[in-house]
Formats: sequence, C-alpha cells, structure tokens
Amino acid sequence: MSTETTLRRVGQVPGRATSVARPARRRKRGPQLKSLLIACVFLAPLAVFYGIYYFYGFGFLAQVSTEQVSLSFLSAVNVGWDNFRLVLTDSIFQRSLLNNLALAAFSVFVALTLGFLVAMMLASGLRARRLIYTVVLLPSLIPLSLFATVFGRMLDTRDGAINELLRNVGLGFMAQDWIVNEPSAYAALGILLTFMIGLPVIYYTADLGQVNGSILEAATLDGASVWQIFRLILFPVLRNTHTTVIIAAVLGSFRAFDIVFFSTGGQPGGRTGIIGTYIYSSALGSDRVGFAAAASIIVLVIALSLSLVQLIFGRKNK
Amino acid sequence: MTDSANEGSLPLRLRIADKWIMYLILGVTCLVFLFPLINAFQASIQVGGLMNYWTVLTRDYNGVSIPLTFLNSGIIAAMHAAIVCVVGSLAGYAFSRIPFVGRTATYYLVLIFLAVPATAILVPVYHITSSMQLFNSYLGVAMPEATLTLPFAVLLLKNQIDAMPVSLMEAAVMDRAGHFRIYFHVVLPLLRGPLVSLAALSIMWSLQDFLFPATLLRDVSLTTAAQAVQTIKGAFGPTAYENSLYYAALMLLAVPALIIIVGGFKYISRGMTNGSIKE
Repeated sequence: MSTETTLRRVGQVPGRATSVARPARRRKRGPQLKSLLIACVFLAPLAVFYGIYYFYGFGFLAQVSTEQVSLSFLSAVNVGWDNFRLVLTDSIFQRSLLNNLALAAFSVFVALTLGFLVAMMLASGLRARRLIYTVVLLPSLIPLSLFATVFGRMLDTRDGAINELLRNVGLGFMAQDWIVNEPSAYAALGILLTFMIGLPVIYYTADLGQVNGSILEAATLDGASVWQIFRLILFPVLRNTHTTVIIAAVLGSFRAFDIVFFSTGGQPGGRTGIIGTYIYSSALGSDRVGFAAAASIIVLVIALSLSLVQLIFGRKNK
Repeated sequence: MTDSANEGSLPLRLRIADKWIMYLILGVTCLVFLFPLINAFQASIQVGGLMNYWTVLTRDYNGVSIPLTFLNSGIIAAMHAAIVCVVGSLAGYAFSRIPFVGRTATYYLVLIFLAVPATAILVPVYHITSSMQLFNSYLGVAMPEATLTLPFAVLLLKNQIDAMPVSLMEAAVMDRAGHFRIYFHVVLPLLRGPLVSLAALSIMWSLQDFLFPATLLRDVSLTTAAQAVQTIKGAFGPTAYENSLYYAALMLLAVPALIIIVGGFKYISRGMTNGSIKE
C-alpha cells in the first residue's frame, strides 16, 4: 500500500527522511517545507473566508472611516480623522458606550449571582434537573428577535402583560409607560438580560466536573451547610470560570444588538442604545456610513484587545 | 468529552429544608423564564382560538408566507453548518496534527477573531456582498455568518482532535498514510460527534441571526424566520383579533428554533461546553 508519494509525506516522523545521502541541512528543511505546504492546503479555505470578510473587510472599514459616504460607496469625500472626532464627541455614541459597559456589568452581576446559584443547585442532585436546565437555557437559545419582541410587547402601557400583572396583584401604581421613561426602560433591559444566564450556567455546570469531591465531603462532615459550601468553597474554587464568564459577558454586550433593537429600540431618544444599535442606525438609518465605520473600528479595537488579553492570560494559566 | 447536563452530581448531603428551598427558587425561576412563552401563547389564542395558527400559516403578510420563511432559514442554516464543518475541520486538523512553522502564532491569530461582533463588520459585509453580487442570495448571508462562527469551530475541533488517542495516528503514520488519508479515514470518523454538535450550534446561531438577512435580503420571498418578526409587524392591524394573530405568527416563527434546541439540546450544550476557551 505504500508508494513513493506517501513516503514523502512523513515529515513528522524523525529519522525517516527520504535519503541518507542528502546533506543534513536539506534533510531537515525538506520535510519542514513539505509540512508547511500541506498545512497551507488544509488552511486555504479558512484563509479565503478570513481574507475576504476579516482582513479585506477591516481594510475597507479603515478606508471608509476616513470618508463621508453613503451605502452605495460612490462619490466618497475624504474627511480624514473627522469621523472619529465626531463619533467620539457624539453624546449618543458616548451614551451607547456607557450603556454597553453597564450592560456588561449587569450581565456579570446576574451571572455571578443567579447564574452561579442556579448551576450549583442543579448539580446538587435534585429531581427534574434536566428539565430545569433546559428551561433556564431556552431564552438564550431561541432567536433574540423573537424573545425580545414578545418581551417588548409585554412592556406595552395599555395591555402589556407586565402592567396587567402589576394591576392584578394590587401594584397598579407601578404600572407605567416602560419604554418612555428612561429609568424604567433600563429596568426593562435589566430584566431582559436576567433571562440570558444560559451561557454562564453552562460554563459553571461544565467546570463543576473538575471540582475535587473530597473537599466537599470533608466540609459536609465538618457540619457545613450546602449554602456555606456554595459560598465559601465552590465560589472561590471556580474563579477561573468567573473569569471566562466575565469576558464572555463583556464580549456578549457588543453582540447584544438584537436585545436592545427589538425591546426598547434604543428609546427614549437613543438613550438606551448600545454600540451595536448605533452602528446599525448610522449605516442604515441615517446613511452616515463613515460614522458607522469609525464606531465599528472602535468596537473592534476594544473587542480584539480583550480577546488577545484573554488568550495570553489563558495560556499563562495553563 | 464531558457531558454538560451533568450525570454525576456533587457529593453533597442536602437537608430536607435545603431541598425545598432549592425547589422553590428553581421553580420560581422556571415560571419566570417560561412566562414570556406562556404569555405569548395565551395572547395568540385570546381571540379566535387555535384556528389562528392555521390562519397565519396559510396567509401572506406583507408578501411573506411563514412556511416559506422556514425554508429560507433552513437553507441558510444548512449552508452555514456545511461551510463551518468542512472549513473548520480542515483547519482544526492542520493546527492539531501538522507541525508547521508558525503554527502557534497562526492559531492564536485565528482565535482572536472569536471576539468580532456581527455589527462591527456590517459595513464591509454590505460592501463585499454587493461587489460579489450576492445580494438576495442564500450564500451571501450564509458566508458572513459562517465566517463569524469559524473561529469557534477551529477552537472546538482542534481541541477535539488534540484529545484523540495518539496511538491511532501513529498506527496510520506507520502505515505511511499521508495527512489527507489520516484526515479522511482516521480523524473525520472520530470527529462525528463534535461535528454534529458544531452543526447543531451553527444551525441555531443561523436561526438567531437577524442582522445579515435584514440587511442583505431585500427580496421578500427570501425573508428568514428571524427577519420576518420585523417584516410582518406592520401587516397586523390594531384590533384584538389581529393582535392575537400576530402573537400566533410569533409563536410559529419560533418553531424551527424550538425544534433544533429541544431535538439537539444534548449536542448544543455539549458543543458550547467544549468550545469554552480555557482548554
């Protein structure tokens, strides 16, 4: 079954290089070059997608960010750094960036409290945990456009489910126009984000498998309650998972476009918007594509640096 | 590969009271989490009853027919999954089993793009799609979607190939099998489970995507389910009956996603677990 062609592919097996007679340098470099070539073939499809949508795309973003141009990308006017200056001093952009951070902070808070607690309880050997696990994950898995739309309609002033519920339980005075008032619009977004604890629950549940059971047994023998074990042993033990969860939440806040777009739509007056909705409305709503490009670059710089830090940090941890 | 909906639970001894408190907290959480779904279902049959579903299913709204959106979503999701599985497994193999110069650096370069949000590449994707004349085509949407999933796919599949027993590869190398043969005959068959997970995740993510279909598909006959949420909104009047119909439509639009989530739940949660970045 072996032929000359397969013989030449054995680059990774030391000492099996093709012929003894060759000079040492070439014997070393031949297989290396061969591996590189084969790797290139395996990586070529990936390179095509990355090349078009990321590398060329980012270059295009850089170019458009210095232009005043519409979505037809014709008759562009070079404006230099103006877009960046205007975007960074735009109060709506600043608010979007702050909202983005607030959103991330809130998701982290919910993940580390409710998400952690739910994951711990699910691992405590209760019945029906599979069912509960599915229900808890459901809102984060179904299309956000649907979930946020249904949720957005629940916020309706007149016949929205939330106001009706409040009236029914005698809290009618709390019934209000959720989207019109800024604080209540934020509250609504907060509730919506609380539904999105699925990913943290998955991470915690997965990492619980690596926890050393004997510590827990010892603690139980010493008379610790389950809640003490959760809080004093498992919470500190899972600190690496906390890091993963925090980074995922921050990166997730840049992806939260659908959540905001379909629930509050950035109302009132763009003040609950995030960078995602800012880019979308600049590009498609007001045709200020240069603004959208500049904002995209700002997001990419933040997100990619975070990603880089995580990779370096994660590598060190190993 | 660890099962995320953990079979084994922590070695804890629960007192009866603890157990009840847990059931109470989890029960309330479940009720709250199901509330939007229950609410939407109630609203959908409030006026007109279950017949509403049939009405919505057979009618066009702003030129959008709901069964057609299922087909459109399905095709895009399948393309997305196919691209991600093929491209991702080839790259994952290279990063795991071919020792080439600059492998680690390239691998990390690929992974950095895990963080790219869809909105950040919206402007270039619009331009690229128009230059390639892919507006109003399934592929035009599936390709940028797949590109966003690819970093995750490479991470997941490289980890899985890394975890394969070396002895199998060694046997193949002893047989003087080349990389292509090892990839096809040794790695791919063992990779079936992770590929199913990846495909399930890709389909789910594709069904979630509103942004790319909404910007790249203008032809109403190509509307996807997630996109239809917005497109059909204006077609429903302000009456109570029309409101019920709208909710029925929303419930129906969730059906493909619900099927893939419930049917592929094991694979989805497993894929998400194994794709977390730490390993």
